[in-house]
Amino acid sequence: MTLDSQSVLRAKDVRKTFVIPGGELEVLRGLNFSIREGVSASIRGESGSGKSTLLHLFAGLEGVDQGEISWGPDSINHWSPRKRAAERAVRLGLVFQAYHLVGEMTALENVLLAARIAGTVSAETRERARHLLDRVGLGNREKQMPGKMSGGERQRVAVARAILNNPPILLADEPTGNLDEKTGETTMELLLELVREQGVALVLVTHSRRFAGACDEQWVLHDGILEASAEA
Amino acid sequence: MPWYFHAALKQIFPSGKLLSFFAFISVTGVTLGVMVLLVVQSVMNGFVFDIQSNLAKTNGDIQIVSRAPIVGWEDWLENLEARPEVKAAAPLAHGVVMLQARNRPMFPYVWGLDLESGPEVLPFEDFLQSGTMDDLDDRSIFVSGGVARELTLGVGTEVAVYTPLMLDRMKVDEVIRPITMRVAGIFETGWNEVDSRTVVVTLRTMQELYGLGESVHGVVMKLEDGVDTAEYAGVLNAGLSEEYHAQTWMDVNSDFLFVLRLEKTMMFFIMIFIVLVASFSIAISLMMAVIRKTREIGLLSAMGASRFGIGACFCLQGFLIGTVGTILGIIGALVALHFRNNIFHLFAHLTGRGQALTDAYGFSYLPAHYIISDFIIVALFSIFVSTLAGLIPAWRAARLQPAEALRNDA
Ligand SMILES: Nc1ncnc2c1ncn2[C@@H]1O[C@H](COP(=O)(O)OP(=O)(O)OP(=O)(O)O)[C@@H](O)[C@H]1O
Ligand SMILES: [Mg+2]
Repeated sequence: MTLDSQSVLRAKDVRKTFVIPGGELEVLRGLNFSIREGVSASIRGESGSGKSTLLHLFAGLEGVDQGEISWGPDSINHWSPRKRAAERAVRLGLVFQAYHLVGEMTALENVLLAARIAGTVSAETRERARHLLDRVGLGNREKQMPGKMSGGERQRVAVARAILNNPPILLADEPTGNLDEKTGETTMELLLELVREQGVALVLVTHSRRFAGACDEQWVLHDGILEASAEA
Repeated sequence: MPWYFHAALKQIFPSGKLLSFFAFISVTGVTLGVMVLLVVQSVMNGFVFDIQSNLAKTNGDIQIVSRAPIVGWEDWLENLEARPEVKAAAPLAHGVVMLQARNRPMFPYVWGLDLESGPEVLPFEDFLQSGTMDDLDDRSIFVSGGVARELTLGVGTEVAVYTPLMLDRMKVDEVIRPITMRVAGIFETGWNEVDSRTVVVTLRTMQELYGLGESVHGVVMKLEDGVDTAEYAGVLNAGLSEEYHAQTWMDVNSDFLFVLRLEKTMMFFIMIFIVLVASFSIAISLMMAVIRKTREIGLLSAMGASRFGIGACFCLQGFLIGTVGTILGIIGALVALHFRNNIFHLFAHLTGRGQALTDAYGFSYLPAHYIISDFIIVALFSIFVSTLAGLIPAWRAARLQPAEALRNDA
């Protein structure tokens, strides 16, 4: 299929079960998903339906029980943890609800950390980091420490960090979950603007119908599989 | 620079701050440990060095002793002094006598001093507290401070001397008469073993007291600077026949030197615990950091950090703390050692125990001697132990499952 050949991220018949006290918890039951270059997709679902788990599987942070995850043409199933880590550094950006900035580094250093881990720091990436900070409206805050920034500002630093290496895929897990409505809205607008501008495919997990509706495709995680959102 | 090195540096030296608080605590522990270790070792070395130079001074560098008295020792001296390694040589005659003053007896060692060659080997003049070398003649005696105190002798007082030779005469029922000698001077070498019970007479008097005639017990020599004492004793022994034996001042005092070395080693092992305790504080604070930063670590994995990189980041922190602490500790030790006597006197002044310290330990100042290898050993040890302390937290951090770490909300 031509669609498949263009997909930057694909999940095929993915199953994931957790062992919990007193039994097993089947979180994903044969889930299929695929996203093309530069497209944005939202995933909604009840709390505990497995959205975060799904993103972890997409990112290769956890292994699937069954099925297959592919980044572009490559199946990541049989990659070693080291190989996954190395590929993740350049092919994937991640944004979380809690911003997870390194407290001992300035805003700019936090953004640059992505390049350091990928081993691609150069004058160019430094310039790009500055540009991205500027782009998220923090051009004059390069030297500020995360402890002295507001939640929205921190999340914007995290967004700049996630796309610094120009990854084809950005995974965002409730990026506005900790922010008030207005801040959440501006942050989300910025995020969507940035991914369009950079041509990054976005998988956005959110509880908000509004934000979900702003994405090109909308999915709901229900009963362990993804269904097209009824509202689309 | 790999990212984990940069990240480790940032954890210890955060942007816009000199030192992170937790690093400060750990660094202080290492600094104190290294400082105390180096100060104690250097002062111990100072004592050992003082004692050794005293020993070398009072014993001469090498003694050649023989089973039977040596006749013709003047030829020996000539022969030895002709050698380039030997600075000076003197005859050696010693034994035990009984002194009596005001009915109190004492059995000190007695040394015969050849007035001509003796002072060149033993700087006896330096030890004299009262009297001069010129005052010593065949009817006078130098006594050590301890002997003078015990028998309440002063310069000019008289003392009766009995020798073992007199015992032979006693056996044939002769009435023995002591030799009366005048105290010509009192000496202190600073070396208690000698100062407590030693007297010195001229060589001729000694030969008379012990019935040696023209012979002596041995020859003592001082070597030129830079000549290896032990090695040269070996050279001498190789050229000596069976009945003679050359021994260094270290051989003569080997038991004592062994105790000294043992003491220094023991001190080292006791003080090492300070560094070990400091390393525990490193381990604990890094462990806390791993727990506190669990989600940050998860994020690092999410950003593509390898397990190795994450482990290395924490291990390097231990190394950095150890290195900074060690450098500060060395600087601190050098400063403390430089001002050691000010500190010592301040302490004596504050406690009002200056005199008590001097009496009890026999010193009124602190010696110090820097041995570069001690510094290197202490530095390597503390850096090694600090790095080791980072290993357990590092291992824990590397083992974290990224997905679980990200879920953690601690
Ligand atoms: N390591 C694990 N062991 C056992 N159960 C787990 C584990 N990780 C997740 N779960 C369970 O899997 C289910 C899905 O969790 P997940 O975090 O993916 O939900 P979610 O859709 O992201 O929820 P929310 O919207 O609240 O973030 C939950 O019931 C959770 O308890
Ligand atoms: Mg979730």
